[in-house]
Amino acid sequence: MQDNQQAYDRGMTIFSPDGRLYQVEYAREAIKRGTASVGVRTDAGVVLAADRRARSPLIEESSIEKLHRVDDHVAVASAGHVADARQLVEFARRKAQENRLRYDEPIDVETLAKEVTDYIQRYTQSGGVRPFGVALAIAGVDPDGTPRLFETDPSGTPYEWKATAIGGDRETLHAHLEDGYRADADLDGGIALALETLAESGEELDADSVEVTTVDVESGRVRSLDPEAIEPHLTDLDIEVDDE
Amino acid sequence: MSDFVDPVTGADALGDPSAPELGAIETGDRGGDGSRTARDDGAVNKTGTTTVGIATEEGVVVATDMRASLGGRFVSNKSVQKVEQIHPTAVLTLVGSVGGAQSFVRTLRAEADLYEVRRDEPMSVHALATLAGNFARGGPWFAINPVLAGVDHEGSHVYSIDPAGGVMKDDYTVTGSGMALAYGTIEGEYDREMSLADARDLAVRAVEAASARDTGSGNGVYVATVTGDGVDIEGFDDTAEALTPR
Repeated sequence: MQDNQQAYDRGMTIFSPDGRLYQVEYAREAIKRGTASVGVRTDAGVVLAADRRARSPLIEESSIEKLHRVDDHVAVASAGHVADARQLVEFARRKAQENRLRYDEPIDVETLAKEVTDYIQRYTQSGGVRPFGVALAIAGVDPDGTPRLFETDPSGTPYEWKATAIGGDRETLHAHLEDGYRADADLDGGIALALETLAESGEELDADSVEVTTVDVESGRVRSLDPEAIEPHLTDLDIEVDDE
Repeated sequence: MSDFVDPVTGADALGDPSAPELGAIETGDRGGDGSRTARDDGAVNKTGTTTVGIATEEGVVVATDMRASLGGRFVSNKSVQKVEQIHPTAVLTLVGSVGGAQSFVRTLRAEADLYEVRRDEPMSVHALATLAGNFARGGPWFAINPVLAGVDHEGSHVYSIDPAGGVMKDDYTVTGSGMALAYGTIEGEYDREMSLADARDLAVRAVEAASARDTGSGNGVYVATVTGDGVDIEGFDDTAEALTPR
């Protein structure tokens, strides 16, 4: 620990003399310790893919949930503290329904992302609380049919992406996305890029340890792929068997 | 209170769908002496009123009379504008308690503005009508029965909002004490394909008929015309002046 950090990294989130919020930075470190989730937006829709590999063969892999449906037209991927993610997902679900109650229309993805980040921000500016140790990728199709992909971070800043990865190994995964991204890809193309990118993190992928959720422009609805539906995508990519 | 609390303010981080974001006023209970309902039912200015909304393919037209009265027995104001713009392409009429209706207009205007600056697109008329219904049902406004009329990317819409929060869409709608007279004028004459100018004349004649026989309505007409381009509101002390010259 460096001297200049002194007490600025403890207790409530306050600025260090050089203008840093150490608690927020530490929350970002917590996210890097999580396995990666990938989001890819194409003209045909948005794809989320996450690695849910278990640390023990005894655990039920289906109980490791990294992709969450928020509303008919919005899904969320998380990286970092799962328990923190669940709170934000529940908040997003309630906000999405609040919009329907108030206006009788589905919430647009940008508004939802900003509601969530505004909530996250409050936990960087208050005593006695800690920031959320989680990043979310919020994917959805707006009521007007536009596919959108947003990221939230522990500072409460919303970012919009064409494609992104949250969690560990982010730089490697981003590099792969930058090389392979095509906006005019169809949904299967988006799934392929998301899975390829996930495979970049080096681990072997199999249909049971990967989650894939899509929101396609045509239906505007969230669809979770079951392992049987994921399998052919992995076979096509030839990334199922690692060259170990 | 939900499980989600703003740690800075201690307030609920989730909103109440029937509460205004800003300018909340005292929510009196709906019964009993001294409640807002009881006071609104007493000797306050009421609009008496005939307000008409008609939708056409080209846009919507709203016509309102200009009389405020005390129980329909004394004319307390002869030049009331009972139709107000609340949105770039929507208007609301004031029907019922004047205080309640004016406050309702101000609040919906603030909500529509906030929605638009935050989301970079105007509220749909359906969203506006839903919000107005929520406010009428669960908010602090009771004795109101407005017409909401507007144009959005889906076309022209006319809604009535009843005091219990009922939201009903129609091709044309009338609220206020002169409604039976105004409906009689419109019935059989309306045609969805009619021009905006013809719809305007029909709305004015409906208010004219109500003004002739309803003691709560009279003293001229305000006419609001709404198209995708915006809102135009004009007032006429004499309803005949509002009709298109033929």
